[in-house]
Amino acid sequence: MFGNNRLPAFHPGLTQSRIRDTTTGNRLWFPGVRSPPSESSPSDSDPPNDQLPLPITPEDLYDTPMAPFNPYTYIRCPCSELNPYAKRTPDVTAQGLSRAAQDDDDHTFDPRAARSNYSLYPLEYLSFCEDCHQIRCPRCVAEEIVCYYCPNCLFEVPSSNIRSEGNRCTRSCFQCPICIGPLAVNHVETPPDPNQLLSPDHAASSHSGSYLLSCSYCNWSSTEIGIKFDKPNSIHMQLAKLRNGGETRLTAKERKERRKEQGGGGGGSNNGQGEEDLDTLLDMETQFANLKSFYQNQLSDANGTGKAGGDASAALGNLGFDAPASLSRIMSLYTGSSSLHDKKSKSRPGTMREALAPSEGLQLASLDETSAITALQDFESTTGLDAYSSTASTTQLQSQTPYLGASPLHGLTRFTSSLRPIPYLLRTKRSKRCPQCRHIISKPESKVTTTRFRIRLIAGNYIPTITIKQLIIPGLTPPPMPNLPPDTIAPLQPAQFVLTFKNPIFESVRVTLATPATTPGRFPSKVTILCPQFEIDSNTDVWEEALKDNNTSSASTSTSQQNLSSSTGPEGGPGRKRAGTLRPGTAGGASLAGEELGPEVGKVWEKGRNWTSIVIEVIPASLVQTAKRDGKGPIKEDEDVLEIPMFVRIEWEAEAPEDEIMPGLSGAKGGNKDGGKEKRELAYWCVLGLGGLRGRCKRGFVCGRS
Amino acid sequence: MSASLPHRSVANIRAPTAPSSRSGGGGGSSHRERESSSHRDRDRDRDRGERGDRDRGDRDHSGTSTPTRPIPTFNTPSSLRAEEELIVIDFGTRKVQVGFAGDSAPRGVVWFGPEQQRRIGDFRDWQTDYQQDWRSKAAGGNWGREYELWRPDVRGLELGQVGDKVEKAVREAYTKYMLVDSRPRRMVCVVPTGLPIPLLSAALDSLFHRFQPPTVSLLSSPVAVTVAAGVRSALVVDLGWNETIVTSVYEYREVATRRTVRGGKKLTEETHRFLAKELGHVQQDNKDDRQEYVLSFEECHDIANRLVWCKPFKADKTPKSSSPPQPASPEGEGLATVEESDEDEPTTTTTTTAAVGEKPLPPPPPKTTTIPLRSGRSPASLELTFDQLSQPCENTFFDSQYSLSSFDDHETPVHLLVYRTLLQLPLDVRALCMSRIIFTGGCTTVLGLRKRIFDEVSHIVQERGWDPVYGKAKEQLRMNSKLKKRNGRLTTGITNNNTSNSPEAGGVSPPTTTTSGTSASGEGPPTPAPAPSGGGQGQEEDGIWHDAANSLPEIDPIEAQLARTNPSSSSRKPLHGQLRAIESLGPWAGGSLITHLKVPSVSTIDKDQWTQHGVTGATVRQADVEAKTQQRLSWNAMNRGGREGKEPWTLGVWGAA
Repeated sequence: MFGNNRLPAFHPGLTQSRIRDTTTGNRLWFPGVRSPPSESSPSDSDPPNDQLPLPITPEDLYDTPMAPFNPYTYIRCPCSELNPYAKRTPDVTAQGLSRAAQDDDDHTFDPRAARSNYSLYPLEYLSFCEDCHQIRCPRCVAEEIVCYYCPNCLFEVPSSNIRSEGNRCTRSCFQCPICIGPLAVNHVETPPDPNQLLSPDHAASSHSGSYLLSCSYCNWSSTEIGIKFDKPNSIHMQLAKLRNGGETRLTAKERKERRKEQGGGGGGSNNGQGEEDLDTLLDMETQFANLKSFYQNQLSDANGTGKAGGDASAALGNLGFDAPASLSRIMSLYTGSSSLHDKKSKSRPGTMREALAPSEGLQLASLDETSAITALQDFESTTGLDAYSSTASTTQLQSQTPYLGASPLHGLTRFTSSLRPIPYLLRTKRSKRCPQCRHIISKPESKVTTTRFRIRLIAGNYIPTITIKQLIIPGLTPPPMPNLPPDTIAPLQPAQFVLTFKNPIFESVRVTLATPATTPGRFPSKVTILCPQFEIDSNTDVWEEALKDNNTSSASTSTSQQNLSSSTGPEGGPGRKRAGTLRPGTAGGASLAGEELGPEVGKVWEKGRNWTSIVIEVIPASLVQTAKRDGKGPIKEDEDVLEIPMFVRIEWEAEAPEDEIMPGLSGAKGGNKDGGKEKRELAYWCVLGLGGLRGRCKRGFVCGRS
Repeated sequence: MSASLPHRSVANIRAPTAPSSRSGGGGGSSHRERESSSHRDRDRDRDRGERGDRDRGDRDHSGTSTPTRPIPTFNTPSSLRAEEELIVIDFGTRKVQVGFAGDSAPRGVVWFGPEQQRRIGDFRDWQTDYQQDWRSKAAGGNWGREYELWRPDVRGLELGQVGDKVEKAVREAYTKYMLVDSRPRRMVCVVPTGLPIPLLSAALDSLFHRFQPPTVSLLSSPVAVTVAAGVRSALVVDLGWNETIVTSVYEYREVATRRTVRGGKKLTEETHRFLAKELGHVQQDNKDDRQEYVLSFEECHDIANRLVWCKPFKADKTPKSSSPPQPASPEGEGLATVEESDEDEPTTTTTTTAAVGEKPLPPPPPKTTTIPLRSGRSPASLELTFDQLSQPCENTFFDSQYSLSSFDDHETPVHLLVYRTLLQLPLDVRALCMSRIIFTGGCTTVLGLRKRIFDEVSHIVQERGWDPVYGKAKEQLRMNSKLKKRNGRLTTGITNNNTSNSPEAGGVSPPTTTTSGTSASGEGPPTPAPAPSGGGQGQEEDGIWHDAANSLPEIDPIEAQLARTNPSSSSRKPLHGQLRAIESLGPWAGGSLITHLKVPSVSTIDKDQWTQHGVTGATVRQADVEAKTQQRLSWNAMNRGGREGKEPWTLGVWGAA
């Protein structure tokens, strides 16, 4: 719809300052602390952001919840509506799916629906593509990797190592298998052995095995699994060669070398006997390697010997056909089209036998697990510890890396003694691109240790932020029910909330809100937006605002300001005062008129330099009554939070794009000159979490279970 | 192909330069390829139009032997090809394993759980005082639902959510474990065969929409497991989450599948029931849906993983039809009964000397452990004996207190299921499959379970042979002296691993019997000398009697060819007719192997085609499926037909909508 339009590009400096601005000030989660209309300094022009937390007294402007419910806002990325397959799927899966029919485009968004959790994001997680003028969520950006690094040692890992060495740090960075804390390499203090002291030859051997990994959090150390290290560095390599208990094993590379030697000696027969007694119980890595080489041998054998050993005429006759086959192979090699859809004509039955020996990857199962069973049962008697605590928990097992050195059976780790230190997973720095226009949305510095970004277009710089406060006006708001916990919204009583929209962009923005009359889901609450259409002024510079203030309306409003503060008391006075100050003729005046009756329909509640507050009225459903009536069982987690889906549409006039001339940074300059305006719009669903419908206990259980 | 246009130019550059070298014909295969590339171009062009003709011509031309073609070795390293990373995804009900093809283990395993289904930015899990409100979620039979990706019953299942879960899991694997960017990559999905089409479709939708792979190939997990074990035929016992599925794979083709609900889910539920009972809660068994849960799924699952074990096999004959009380025949039956009587009376310690390692020591003081339970209404700790802790497993997989005939089809005990699957197989297939039993799936971690199933199966086989008819009349018939001899021999043929454990059993058994799988693997076929005549007799007498172990092997064309092409290996006949379990690296590793070896999959779905048609575009024609299967079975790397847009594609065994 506004594909080629561009916002005026900003000076880098400005963007920077805005980013800082948003990241510091713009927290949606602190309702009690930062209240937009604070009376501290009347000259302050940006109240929602730049206020320091004030000491809050119970008589403060708005109700400040004592309990930890924080109103929140989630934004639904529009990309979740764009599934090209969404339409088709119901046809396919057709009958019996009752829900499929309801899956229309028009139905209101239900934040409680099973799928909603996957498409909702806090504003902080969203990016914005300046060229497509669209919100981009983590699901709808294309990512590129800038660098790989270990989060523990902060060493950068070259990308070639990722493929060959895996996704974990190959230096000495390990996590504790018990508590995932970082492990440190420590020296083992062994009491000096007089014999070894005497003989210098044994000095070396005493040196060996004198380092261990230890966890400073839970005091686990690698001696518990019988592992000590010779050197304090490159623990990863040493650990790969050690089984639990200190037994050494051959790594894949060594095994390969050994095989090569044997293959050379034994005339290349792939099932050489000498090798088998190396290890009859294959570990997983070896079995895989054996299988792989076995299959490869078989495939090449089947083809190769088929030609050589088969009758000569066939071999000769096939010569003509050989040619295209191999050509196509070369072609496919270079065109990169893989086997998955290699084009080649003919199937011929290549034959291969099955693996017959461990050297070929066949591993007979030793089903006898009695040793493990008896170990489990006798654990208490042998060690004095509880058998339950000797076993590893599910989460511990899940955080284990697959230990390839174990044979498949022993790979089924069960005891804590068979856990192994977890090498740190590497992490990446990624740059993000818009999948449609390929413009970069976010690009971090490539150095591991810097946290700066070269480019970062976060959505908070482009779309208004919403802050939520409950509105309590003494006399107008009914007193809270005495038996309710403090942060609860009383059921079946109208409650009012102030939504403050703050405009981050340099143009004034027109906002249109829409919400279903009752919230979807099991507990329908009535929702009314008192002022669904309003405007937010542009985010001009602060000093400009101050000048304007002085020039125009300071004198005229000073009287009304006093009137206001005297009539309404401390509540909300300064905020509305400001609204009147800035725009004496428009919304401010309206709110002035209705001020004594509280919020008025169709009127903005209050207004500031780049922010506007409106009031939303909610009559919450009664959870207990509904739950009793509909018989759908107990109230589920989160169903007791009053969440309102709201459709936000913002329109603004931006400088006309001059993409044709210069698509780069010059937008702002040119736009200023020719002044051509162009309408832009953006629409999205968001979810407002207003408050709990019943209290929450300390432990997270929901009280008031019927 | 469209993905790699830039590389095409490389090929164009190389192609003309190649044919200049025209040296001796022997050489390496790569050498020969270059030689005649000039007329290959022509051939290729012609190839498009007249493939059918050429196929026939080829076959005629080659005469007796199959036409051969030099397929260069597959391990030729090519930097160009190495760049392409194929991603193998193994979909399970509880977890998704993701990694690169050619690796021996997946890079990352992503488990499904409630915390994964939270909104982004919802960090309540990390709050110190947060405790999951599992109770309200468990209502309405949803206990543990959120730990699953899907369930086989798709009624009322939100498919879009399945897609979302798939996406989130794969994305997590991408960013956390694979460390790859979001460039489109080909994907290979290892998928259980019985997956309902709507689920498959939802998963594929999600993959194609969010990750834009040029193609997605589907591999069936039993076949992948078979490949990862190094065999061509196998009986795959997948002790999975929702179900235990026994699949018989013969020459990389699934020939029979049976399933039962006895899987990990039931084990967890049984664990819960058991713990609840121990805690003093009375459960009404008949109303499973309305069951009240007193402990969280997580905790029960944890305990099931940690402490639940499986008792070793005890040949108690009480529930089953009584086997002959005295040794029926001197040679064969004696062997079985010696073992049985060993374990028959576990309390009398005098007789148990032979099989010491086999069973838990008779408990003078029962060994106990203390389990802390935190998710109940009030924290508690239970002191349980290990004997008790084997109950859930017993109830889940065997239910041995009931007679074998009392089960419904969907809840057959696992050992019976294995036996029945073997029983219904054709003779040759059974002979191969029974000596290649592969246990896979999550429940293999239950200590002792695999051995128990194996022993139970071999016990049934010893008792009944391969005869679908059993019961009293059958017993009487068996007591008939005329048949006794054959029965005896039969049981020796299927002597299993555990006979080797008892020394005197080994002494009794006739020398022809191969007692242990390990020693037999290298030896010749275990077919005893008198087999042909005896087997023939058996088949004459009753039509259904199939003596798997001792029948004359038919001439296997593949074996024959193997013997021809590779004389060195012909000395080693594949073992058959003997119960034996082998180890597999699992479905993911199998998928990785298959993909790495560039074996084309039956079902390769092109992104464009999927976008156009979805599942409905998959061809239903059996002939196409067959053709594809044929191509794949040949293990030929080059046999993919041109994948133009019109080319019919199929979902293979997964069927069509």
